[in-house]
Amino acid sequence: MTLWYKLLFFYLWIAPHLLLMVVAVLLLKKRLYTNFPVFTIYTCYEIAEFVLLLAMAVTGLNRGALLMPVYLVTLGISTALRFGVLQEVFNNIFREHIQLHALARISLRWTTGFLLATAVLGSIFAFAQTSDSAIADVAWLGRGIALIQCGLVLFLLMFSRLFGLSLESYVFGIALGFGILSSVELANWALHTGSLTDSMARALNLLPTGGYHVVVLLWLGYLVAPARKVLQPSDLPVGDMNQWNQELERFLQ
Amino acid sequence: MSAASVYVAIAFVLAAVFTYLAARRRRSPLGIDKARALMSSLDIEAFRNLVDPEEEAFLRSNLPSDEFKTIQRERAWAALAYMRALSHAALEFSRFGHAMYNSSDPRLAELGRQIVNDAVYLRLRALETSGRLFVAATFPNLTQRYPKSLFEQYEHSSGLLLRYGMLERARRQAS
Repeated sequence: MTLWYKLLFFYLWIAPHLLLMVVAVLLLKKRLYTNFPVFTIYTCYEIAEFVLLLAMAVTGLNRGALLMPVYLVTLGISTALRFGVLQEVFNNIFREHIQLHALARISLRWTTGFLLATAVLGSIFAFAQTSDSAIADVAWLGRGIALIQCGLVLFLLMFSRLFGLSLESYVFGIALGFGILSSVELANWALHTGSLTDSMARALNLLPTGGYHVVVLLWLGYLVAPARKVLQPSDLPVGDMNQWNQELERFLQ
Repeated sequence: MSAASVYVAIAFVLAAVFTYLAARRRRSPLGIDKARALMSSLDIEAFRNLVDPEEEAFLRSNLPSDEFKTIQRERAWAALAYMRALSHAALEFSRFGHAMYNSSDPRLAELGRQIVNDAVYLRLRALETSGRLFVAATFPNLTQRYPKSLFEQYEHSSGLLLRYGMLERARRQAS
């Protein structure tokens, strides 16, 4: 392993989690945890998972038989939380639109069913091309999950667009982040299902961490940047509003 | 082509779509003028005639079958053009409502909330009607029932637009 690769590897592993700590602080400071409790839990969980894996790496425990079960359990919890966040995004988008909520819920169920069937069929047909390595066994599952999550994010964004629902900045940022993260993971897991040379596997190790870094920066950006400029009260002084109401009453008489 | 390369290609396309959606969101303008122009350009009475079940029954009983099919198809396509315009107007209307909805002024926010809800419902009804009209254009012999709530919703939405228009005019006069 060359020095630059080591540096880049550790940077891409550590930096996004440090930035994620800033995201968690912002979520708490802006009281966004009330609207996004699952996303807040997800960020805290990701930080805790990072601390655990870093501790294992520092103490050398990551070389033993403990690594795989820990990796699988943490990956499982992380995946479950991501589905939870997507449900939270869905609730945030359609909470105010009762007449659309039922249609959206049914459409989401059908979309999930379709994506699940696609993932399962894709895994069955591609199973012959899968290599025998342990990571390849996990990869086909990861690929299916990434495909479903990508599809769900795409559905949420397209469906809200179909009805002209302008997503709140934070909701859009979270959904967009998960969309990009899932597509990066889809590519990563898909490449892991095949046989890889050592150099290819090393290079591919940087893909999910690099993608994660971009996504955390995106979340940070959406949390820090002010919401899109809309009709602000400064554009519409209160004095004018009273005058308008009088004018309106006059027009209506 | 291996399965892996297909999945990688899908991942790239999806990432590009997400990036496009993010970039487009930044540029999407407020469209009240567009919505107002589109709404006022619609001749709702003409549209009402095109989907009037009594009119359809009259044509069905007075015209030979082939001629009825041709005319019914033309009526359905014409009505579809109206629906496209209405659907587009509802979309612009919804975007504008969202802009008001985010206002910290409760009165504006409330008007925005009403506009968004109306626009969403109008769009929903317009899409439903479009589907029915498409079926009617494809199978002219099938009798279609168009939602009456579409017209009620259109009138309600127009009323809200008018209300906003009056407020805007009063504001201009006052300044």
